[in-house]
Amino acid sequence: MASTIHDKGAGRPIGLRLLDLLEAARERLWPARMAALTPWLFLLPAVLLTGLLAAGLIPLLDASLRPLDRATFRLAEDYALGNYATLATRPVYGVIALRTLMAGLVVTAATLALAFPYAWMMVRTPHAWLRKLLLVSLFLPFFIGQVVRAYGWLIILGKQGLLNALLDGLGLPPSSLAFTYTAVLIGLVQYMLPFAVLMLAPALTAVPVEVELASASLGARPFATFRHILLPMARPGIVAAGIVVFTLTLTDFAMPEIMGGGGNDFIASAVYDAFFQLGDAGLGAALGIGLTLVGSAVVGVILAFFGLGTLGYVEGREQRS
Amino acid sequence: MTGSRKAAWIIGAIVAFDLLFLALPTLVVLVASFTPGTIITFPPPGFSLRWYADLLQARDFADALWRSLQVGLVCTALSLPAGTLAALALARFRLRFATGLQIYLLLPFTIPLVVSGVGLMLVFGRLGWLGAVWPVGVAACVINLPFMIWAVAASVNHLDPDLENAAANCGAPPVHSFFTVTLPAVAPGVLTGALIMFILAVNEFLVSLMLTDARTVTLPVLVYNAIRSIITPDLAAVSVVYVILAVAAIWLLDRLVGLDIFLKSKQG
Repeated sequence: MASTIHDKGAGRPIGLRLLDLLEAARERLWPARMAALTPWLFLLPAVLLTGLLAAGLIPLLDASLRPLDRATFRLAEDYALGNYATLATRPVYGVIALRTLMAGLVVTAATLALAFPYAWMMVRTPHAWLRKLLLVSLFLPFFIGQVVRAYGWLIILGKQGLLNALLDGLGLPPSSLAFTYTAVLIGLVQYMLPFAVLMLAPALTAVPVEVELASASLGARPFATFRHILLPMARPGIVAAGIVVFTLTLTDFAMPEIMGGGGNDFIASAVYDAFFQLGDAGLGAALGIGLTLVGSAVVGVILAFFGLGTLGYVEGREQRS
Repeated sequence: MTGSRKAAWIIGAIVAFDLLFLALPTLVVLVASFTPGTIITFPPPGFSLRWYADLLQARDFADALWRSLQVGLVCTALSLPAGTLAALALARFRLRFATGLQIYLLLPFTIPLVVSGVGLMLVFGRLGWLGAVWPVGVAACVINLPFMIWAVAASVNHLDPDLENAAANCGAPPVHSFFTVTLPAVAPGVLTGALIMFILAVNEFLVSLMLTDARTVTLPVLVYNAIRSIITPDLAAVSVVYVILAVAAIWLLDRLVGLDIFLKSKQG
């Protein structure tokens, strides 16, 4: 106990004195024999906060098993699978589910195709200014919420918007993209692009540039290097980016709601409408549970094949498959 | 040689398209906010600050912005300790059920936002938390917590565990070691995470839509409601507030930790 940190002289800085106080409090509340439990204490706040979310699933699961009684407009007392049966039989939900799933596939493919070259250039460029430009261009929309960006797209694609002004200037007929499925997809790809690049970049950083150079110097054409070197080596990042983009698209609400003009709802809109417009909490809950299950199943299957990838919080033996 | 020249062209063209694609909505909002007319047309018929002047008069927008900032502060204040400690625990200790814990802590990400929103609304209702602004901050923290944990965990994975061992060896008790060795070492991740959490919370929309009423409405919800009725240039001026916030956050992030932190590999 001869270390300087324990010298309680008058010249001891105020910061250290404060730490001494904290240390004394810790000694009382969390004595050394509890040290083995410290990691669990560290986890407690995050576990409790996430618990609020988990707790919310219970009343939802409960409500999903109680069909609406049309006579009293209240949820039934007894459990039944009526809500899930309604989902399976009402064609409108099939249409919405298909529309959402299609969007998930198209947006994921388009976003990855646009994000990969961006991430590659950001990681590989020798010019600091270009890297900075790419980073800032990425973060600016990332930090501007979905509602504001959707508003921007409405101004671009609207009847008197930028796009039609440009088409008019070129002597071309005006387009009517606003409030279409295509508009929703455009908005979604733009929204997802920063997510995808940010998940791809660390994976590409992990690929040594020498491997690419070696491949090229051995005579591989750029596409062969991409196909046989980059793609397999950056796989964790590609998988993570794909999962993030696909699930975020599958569950998106704002873009189809704002850009779709009411006729291009996704599943999330159907959940919202069931709760707040139809007043049928049971049906809404069943839809929500269904959406959660589909999303989790997709993530689960991909993770089972590829491991937690860059989605896991820590690299560890447990996480590698 | 021709092959690599062609590849460079293709990559360059895609990246150029990306840059335009990413910037377009922001640029258009900026331009539209200075229009003198009551509808948005291109090219703008002139230059005017009238919508900004109107904005200064509009109490509902100022109030909503203030509420959104409160939401951001509550969210950051909660996620800062919760996310940092969780990331440290996950990365520094060999825990039982580590994989299960990670999956549990990824719940905010696997549960769709619309479901989280309804679920939190039911839970908050039972706890008597509805009708105030701070619970929206709690909700923003809950649904975005993975971002905080990711940011800190990335820093912890780079941290040399021998530093803490050395501190302990020199006789530093746990709290001293935590505040003088561990925390400074992971500070870049903590700062990055805190900033991202604040921005995400100020922008949070869908869950806020369900947790707020006319008295507690936040800015994104107010903008959303306004877009649904009619698209007027005053919204563009409101949106510029978000552009300014984003620019400030990026500048801070670059000054404090450097944007390059996002390029680091996890294995590094």
